[in-house]
Amino acid sequence: MSTSTDKLQVRLLAPTRGWESLESVLSMTGALAEPFSARRRGTLGQLSRMILQDPELRADAGSVALGYWLRKANIDRLAEAFGRRQEAEPGVVFVPAGRVFHVAPGNVDTMFVYSWALSYLCGNRNVVRVSGEQSPVLMRLLSLLSRQMQSDPELADGNRFVTYDHDQSISEQLSRWATHRVLWGGDETVRLLRTLPLSPHASERAFGSKFSYSAISTRAYLEAAVEKADKLAAGFFNDVFWFDQMACSSPHLVIWVGSAEQFDPALDRFHQALADEIVRRGHRGGQSNAIHRLNFVFDLACEANLTVDLKQKEFLAVRFPDAGVLRKEICGGGLFTHVRVDQLSQVADVSGEGDQTITHFGFSDTELRELAQQAGSRGVDRLVPIGEALAFEPTWDGYDLIGDFLRRVTLRTNSGGR
Amino acid sequence: MSAGSVMEKLLAAAPYSLPQEEKRILLVERARELTRHHYGQCELYNNLINRIFGGSKALQFDKLEDAPFLPVSLFKTQELRSVDAAAVVKTLTSSGTTGQAVSRIFLDSRTAQLQSRTLVKIMQHFLGVDRRPMVFLDHPGVVRDRRSSSARAAGILGMLPFGRQPFYALRDDMSLDLEGLREYLEKTREQTPIFFGFTYMVWQYFVGALEKLGGGLSLSEAILLHSGGWKKLEAVKVSQAEFRDRVLAVSGIKKVINFYGMVEQVGSVYFENPLHFLHASIYSDIIVRDTNTLEPLPPGRPGLIQVISSLPESYPGHSLLTEDIGVVEDCDNPALGMNGQYFRILGRLAKADLRGCSDTFQKPVPVPA
Repeated sequence: MSTSTDKLQVRLLAPTRGWESLESVLSMTGALAEPFSARRRGTLGQLSRMILQDPELRADAGSVALGYWLRKANIDRLAEAFGRRQEAEPGVVFVPAGRVFHVAPGNVDTMFVYSWALSYLCGNRNVVRVSGEQSPVLMRLLSLLSRQMQSDPELADGNRFVTYDHDQSISEQLSRWATHRVLWGGDETVRLLRTLPLSPHASERAFGSKFSYSAISTRAYLEAAVEKADKLAAGFFNDVFWFDQMACSSPHLVIWVGSAEQFDPALDRFHQALADEIVRRGHRGGQSNAIHRLNFVFDLACEANLTVDLKQKEFLAVRFPDAGVLRKEICGGGLFTHVRVDQLSQVADVSGEGDQTITHFGFSDTELRELAQQAGSRGVDRLVPIGEALAFEPTWDGYDLIGDFLRRVTLRTNSGGR
Repeated sequence: MSAGSVMEKLLAAAPYSLPQEEKRILLVERARELTRHHYGQCELYNNLINRIFGGSKALQFDKLEDAPFLPVSLFKTQELRSVDAAAVVKTLTSSGTTGQAVSRIFLDSRTAQLQSRTLVKIMQHFLGVDRRPMVFLDHPGVVRDRRSSSARAAGILGMLPFGRQPFYALRDDMSLDLEGLREYLEKTREQTPIFFGFTYMVWQYFVGALEKLGGGLSLSEAILLHSGGWKKLEAVKVSQAEFRDRVLAVSGIKKVINFYGMVEQVGSVYFENPLHFLHASIYSDIIVRDTNTLEPLPPGRPGLIQVISSLPESYPGHSLLTEDIGVVEDCDNPALGMNGQYFRILGRLAKADLRGCSDTFQKPVPVPA
């Protein structure tokens, strides 16, 4: 069955806002660019300034992080890394993948910009589908993009930010159009959209739902100086609260590696430090978060032995009495569970497919390297210090996104050089 | 559970007779009694007290604010019962939109009886002791299937004993049977009738229909009782005052009484007082808590409503944290001649806006009928 594109409509959110036929979206004319062109780097730098100067977005931690990520220094670093890649492979000419169809996730407002920006840097034309549930932050980001497009025809001609309801026929046409499709999950979206055929020449990257957790050395934590423990609390706060704990890399479980006697004192210190950080920042979460956490924990307590302290504010920590209980369930909104194990290797034992980030504290480089080897082979993609869970990197879920957004043209010249 | 003497004291008093402080003393004692009872009789409740409230020390509380509570949605996911399955005489279920889980509330004869005794006392305070002709602003089909007790059916069935010669004013297709209604009113004209319906049904199919048909009714002596969420009316931007005005305009009904109640605590309902606030009877009370910290709030500060009822013995529903937002106005107002707290409901907690990874292509949510 083929649906003709002229009847299908999407809601265009940038360059301008309004209904637009899918036909016209797909026939955009913008030219491809050389990867990491100075011009495109400049555009991202300009967007960075706009975001960081926007009063509304400056109040949103996730947008500030995005603004910093887009700033010139960071983009130049990516360009340098790309330069080194080119040097290391003289027998390869990198060209844009061509036409990229992005399906952005609904849980993290800024994610669509990261996905798009990398692809744009690589020189592609892009159609980005954002979630229909548009938050003020998302709308603000889109309006900044729109504004930039007014003075930047190159940007306006080759990029479309759209939304549309659950309509497979639109996704089908966009999939046919694309030379590369990137699906930012979760599982449902990936399953649904994977049924739509791509062009036989196209490639795809899909990111399903992920589970992330923390591993902390109990002893190192108890021995840490106050400033260090406070800094850890601040980092954990960022990891958990920036996106209401709904980012794929936000931790939901804290695995304490150490003795049973030290478990309670460590938790007491951790909770106090986190509570202090919440007060320091004057954090007040969404109105329904507390009820959401309660509903989750009451249901959990009907099946599993656990303890909680309902006096905790803006978060709720569930403590399982023995290391045997481990549940990889996601509540969000400030709920996490604690379990204890004797050794770091047991952290690897619980890791599995669908796990993404382990944020860590208090382990040596050797220990972490070993954990990365063991947990990585079972599915974990990333080990970073607590506080860096949400830092976006071009390698995501184990995949090289820049590599995805480029094609490698093999070149052997007559001179025989590679 | 043997009929506690506290409960007997409560039942012996008139529903708005006790000053707040005095009432609280009785309610705290009753709440302790019920908490201990369910701790002993309901395994799940016992587990929850041990795991979430720190065990049996949670049974000793001096203030109602310190009583353990359950989130009301737990009745949607768990079977919470403090009597043998064989003792259950009736299972109430909440209305839910298609695909949503519904609450299940298990009543034994004792709890069912307590519910109807208190409901009678509250109703009689507002409607008098005579049973009067009763018009349901609903269609008869809603109660036809007695096995399924939807909240709408339960409300109507609960109301039946307070009236006589019940008449259903809507046809099965929800159109107003104006001719039938006029005939009924003519037939029963010696007594002032009571109208009852769910708020949105009253608005949509009674007020709406009469406004369209023109030629209203003149029922200046009648009483309209209505209940059920304001959410749908808020969505169409109708205030409570406008609701009353438009009811008056089309029907002549001056006495419009809203009440707040839930299937999880049938019986101890909150009727609207003459100042248009919802008034707690001596059989129950509310505590308003901060939405984020859950700390109790003083009058005037809006927050989550916790409902405490003295009635539930067959299920552990005597202390429930709802997802409704409300604010206490005042208590023990001599001008009203009613003691106890009164409050307003401001709406429902915006449903968890936590967005999982997987909602990018959310299926459209069916609109509740």
